[in-house]
Amino acid sequence: MTRETTFNDVRGEEAAVEFVMDEETFRGFYERNARGLWAYLARTTGDRALADDLLQETFYRFLRAGAAYESEQHRRNSLYRIATNLVVDERRRHAARAPSGEIEQAAPSSGAAAEGSADLSRALAHLKPRERAMLWLAYAEGATHREIAEILGLETASLKPLLFRARRKLAALLGGGKT
Amino acid sequence: MKAPECRWESEVLAAVLESRWPERVDAELRAHAESCPICEEVAAIAGVLEADREGLRSEAALLDAGRIWWRAQWRARREAAAMAGRPITAAQVLAFACASGLVGACFGATSEWFQALMRQVSVPPLLAEHAVLALSVAALVVLVPAAVLVAIGRD
Repeated sequence: MTRETTFNDVRGEEAAVEFVMDEETFRGFYERNARGLWAYLARTTGDRALADDLLQETFYRFLRAGAAYESEQHRRNSLYRIATNLVVDERRRHAARAPSGEIEQAAPSSGAAAEGSADLSRALAHLKPRERAMLWLAYAEGATHREIAEILGLETASLKPLLFRARRKLAALLGGGKT
Repeated sequence: MKAPECRWESEVLAAVLESRWPERVDAELRAHAESCPICEEVAAIAGVLEADREGLRSEAALLDAGRIWWRAQWRARREAAAMAGRPITAAQVLAFACASGLVGACFGATSEWFQALMRQVSVPPLLAEHAVLALSVAALVVLVPAAVLVAIGRD
């Protein structure tokens, strides 16, 4: 008869899997970044349950990546890049299952999107996924243009106009834009 | 399209992200932002997004770091074991395919019934002469790809 492997089984075994960092370092890194990353995932996917799953998957892939990082900032950028790729993959899977893509096709209603933080999610839902990610990284996380370009896989030179357009769009949706 | 810029934009953004906006910034910067549409927009958007981020951060129900760590360890080991077992699986199914071909060849070489059948059936003379070889090759041609498919499917 077989039984499921438990976490205790893993604890009892000799360490066989080499991760990019040891447990103590990981704990610190997780504590510093998990909440911010979850907020990013929740806003870019628009789905909190999915953000929970993607958060775990992101940290797992980060640990398995085995890359050496120069600094905490590099680690963090790598983490956000992994998360962004997972969001893109998830969106593709979702599009294959339900081609209607309800988030992108919802009709804009700028009047309703002008009130409070609850309306922010509605306003963000009218933006393209890349615009959401870009705005969040720039104006909520305070990432530099170079970092955003690295995370989203864009050219740094092309980021400035893209970010400007996204910001204008969001401002208009929130009712504060001077378009 | 060239995006319009303001040299104070980054100052305004930093002040918002550091919760210094608008009270704890230079009056000069504040006055500038009031008259600069770019800085005004940056302050408004960053203010909304930053407040939302703080709200979400406090709402996040995260798993403990230790639990994430051990789950990752457990999963990495399972994946490592699966990877290590992959060549064995492929070798096992290939060995099975080869053994099946060999059994087929032996059957063809020793079975009088099969040899009588080959004589009765109108097959090309060359094929009839080398029926055993043909049978084993046919078995391998069918079984090896099937075995490979099974191996891939199992992985």
